[in-house]
Amino acid sequence: EVDVLVQRVVKDIANAFKKNPSIDEIGVIPCPEARYNRSPIVLVENKLGVESWCVKFLLPYVHNKLLLYRQRKHWLDREALVDITCTLLLLNPDFTTAWNVRKELLLCGVLNPEKDLYLGKLALTKFPKSPETWIHRRWVLQQVLNQVSTLDHNKNQQQAEAVQADAERNEQLSDRLARTLCQEMKVCSDAAGRYPSNYNAWSHRIWVLQHMARGNVKVFHDELSSMRVWVSMHVSDHSGFHYRQFLLKELIAEICKRPAHTSTSCSPQRGCSTVPEGSPCPHSRSHSNGEPSGQEAGGEEDSHADFTTVLQLFHQEMDLCSDLIQSFPGHETLWSHRRHVFYLWDQW
Amino acid sequence: VKDVIIKPDAPSTLLLEKHADYIAAYGSKKDDYEYTLSEYLRMSGIYWGLTVMDLMGQLPRMNQQEIIDFIKACQHECGGISASIGHDPHLLYTLSAVQILCLYDSIDAIDVDKVVEYVKGLQQEDGSFAGDKWGEIDTRFSFCAVATLALLGKMDTINVDKAVEFVLSCMNFDGGFGCRPGSESHAGQIYCCTGFLSLTGQLHQLNADLLGWWLCERQLPSGGLNGRPEKLPDVCYSWWVLASLKIIGRICWIDKDKLRKFILACQDEETGGFADRPGDMVDPFHTLFGVAGLSLLGDEQIKPVNPVLCMPEDVLQRIGLQPDLLS
Amino acid sequence: MKLYSLSILYKGATKSNLLKAAYDLSSFSFFQRSSIQEFMTFTSALIVERTSQGTRASVKEQEYLCHVYVRNDNLGAVVIADTEYPQRVCFTLLDKVLEEFSRQVDSIDWPSGNPDTINYKALDIHLSKYQNPREADAMTKVQAELDETKIILHNTMESLLERGEKLDDLVAKSEHLGNQSKAFYKTARKQN
Ligand SMILES: CC(C)=CCC/C(C)=C/CC/C(C)=C/CC/C(C)=C/COP(=O)(O)OP(=O)(O)O
Repeated sequence: EVDVLVQRVVKDIANAFKKNPSIDEIGVIPCPEARYNRSPIVLVENKLGVESWCVKFLLPYVHNKLLLYRQRKHWLDREALVDITCTLLLLNPDFTTAWNVRKELLLCGVLNPEKDLYLGKLALTKFPKSPETWIHRRWVLQQVLNQVSTLDHNKNQQQAEAVQADAERNEQLSDRLARTLCQEMKVCSDAAGRYPSNYNAWSHRIWVLQHMARGNVKVFHDELSSMRVWVSMHVSDHSGFHYRQFLLKELIAEICKRPAHTSTSCSPQRGCSTVPEGSPCPHSRSHSNGEPSGQEAGGEEDSHADFTTVLQLFHQEMDLCSDLIQSFPGHETLWSHRRHVFYLWDQW
Repeated sequence: VKDVIIKPDAPSTLLLEKHADYIAAYGSKKDDYEYTLSEYLRMSGIYWGLTVMDLMGQLPRMNQQEIIDFIKACQHECGGISASIGHDPHLLYTLSAVQILCLYDSIDAIDVDKVVEYVKGLQQEDGSFAGDKWGEIDTRFSFCAVATLALLGKMDTINVDKAVEFVLSCMNFDGGFGCRPGSESHAGQIYCCTGFLSLTGQLHQLNADLLGWWLCERQLPSGGLNGRPEKLPDVCYSWWVLASLKIIGRICWIDKDKLRKFILACQDEETGGFADRPGDMVDPFHTLFGVAGLSLLGDEQIKPVNPVLCMPEDVLQRIGLQPDLLS
Repeated sequence: MKLYSLSILYKGATKSNLLKAAYDLSSFSFFQRSSIQEFMTFTSALIVERTSQGTRASVKEQEYLCHVYVRNDNLGAVVIADTEYPQRVCFTLLDKVLEEFSRQVDSIDWPSGNPDTINYKALDIHLSKYQNPREADAMTKVQAELDETKIILHNTMESLLERGEKLDDLVAKSEHLGNQSKAFYKTARKQN
């Protein structure tokens, strides 16, 4: 009897996603008892809720189903696997093996990366720290990156034949990466807002920049400016400030290593070909941090401009820091940030 | 300052019997919802429970044969060990299984050579370690790898120099370590990295004064320790921070009496066990790190614990492993 | 830093009654918002009841700080904030809304009023403007009469209660909290 009920609930969840592809949050509704003739799955305003009474039946059921499958004691078809891992991971997102099952499904083409990035995003709305969810995300993103780079590679080999088609495809790829990058930043911000000093969210954000925007000064500048407001409203979030320190350090390194005689537009081997020059996040576009892109002039003036840019970065950061320390006294985070900025300055 | 207030009626003596009863009973609630929820980390859960029982001199109360059979059933073809039956193998649980078998002096219950092959196979070109075949990199896994090999006496099977190089590349300006190069310092990761450097004989690479300063700043007015600036204190950091301080020879930099008071206040007088903070729900994880922390503070009712491996010193003596400590 | 609720209450002889309230619960998970709102209302009322006339106090409850000011004319206000939000700004806000409210709403209506009958609309605007304390320009205007040493600090809600009184019992007995909220309270306690 319980089995029948639970199977129906798993189906209800799958159907809810089919019916409404824009579900953006999951949660448990405190409700100690079942109500007759009503599914425990509730969908309001794009939020998917499950009534608490049914969780204690639901979880053990999907849990055991998956483990029996994993021990080859019980067969599940692909569709059932997708549904069962989905329910299981929304309830218990640190169940590593369930993510691994999905990795296998992804590798054999049953699932696509977007689906799994979406499932992870939803799990993070209820479990913003879940380490295994972040770990799986990085694996999926790595798959996307691998796809893009193999396509990139093929392109180079056939260049002579279909230049036109290549250009188009290349643009599509860059678009896809830019969109993915933007989405990751959003997922990280949301998770950072749900749990203060969310280590996993912020270190994921760093990973994403390191792997998807390496050398892209524009992206780093945009991140730095959009983070300004965020840190000013989260003055005790040490992880958020550490992220700023990371951005500063990378920016300074990039600016300083820019060869003085070439123009400042990105050189292809720095990974800029994968992310277009335009800001990946349209909403964070309007800021200017004095980025010296498009500077004409020869070597000397160029390196002078770079010098000024870095100096300006330091000044702006010190101003921000002093300002926050005065407005919000007594925060260890702000003082440790100050110390770090001086350290970077000293290193430079 | 983010901190907790310790109520005057909070427990202030060590309730050893209650804790032993709590752990002994924990495994008998196998149908519980909570128990199912934590199955994905079962092997570590068993390690926490057994280690705290051993530290309290109560190991015989646990079912040795059942546990050893369970571990055998968790070793996979590839040599790696999973958290539970039907789960996938991972370095985290491979280390826990090896630690348990050392407590029971029964390492031969599993195929040791295959474990070594598994660990070795997870080392990457840059010296780092993946946690499993899917490739996530983290300094936690560097620690798990060398701790497993050290317990098995097989450190020479990996490229130690490269492994050290990677861990050192995760060192930050504050003297601490994060999970990957460029990541924020975190007391848990610092424990893994100092433990790693101890096991590989490289503690001299640390800036012990700088790191010690960061670590002792984790102590809050309540006496409890947090894992990063402006976070709440948590009993598990009594372990991660204190063990790191012990490894680098700076344990006297914290106020031991106040910390002891905080740890004791995290006990649940009714159910036994320790919670992360006073008044919260207890679990075996915080119970081990509460008791192990008290051991590092010199409590004589508890066996001495090794700060690098979080195992009773007598067990390590038996297998002849004495990780370095700075003085 | 965040402000979650701002309410104005009248402190009666034994009970307090809510006159107007504004909430910003966007940072909470959707399905918990209604319960959290009920708890904020419940807590605000309780705090006003247990605070004597002419006092300012801050009550710490887990990761929240509830700031209260009850004036000598029994009009009171409570703002619930996180621990990051500057205390001084909270009291500036309380002074300001109480002052404005008492100018706009006749004191005859205070003892019997409720959110539906009271015509005062500015609370939502204040709550949203003060979300960013630096934009609310209160940071610079240091209130001369606000002597911070006179603000009473309670480290828990319990310290507001009388001997033998228990928060759990008050919650269980409350008519203003629905069953869902009471269930929520039970699961939220003792979990981290
Ligand atoms: C032998 C022993 C005792 C352990 C094995 C080695 C391992 C796996 C140690 C884990 C150490 C640890 C706690 C690492 C930290 C992981 C991490 C980055 C946690 C992120 O913290 P948050 O999720 O932000 O939670 P907090 O709020 O507690 O910081």
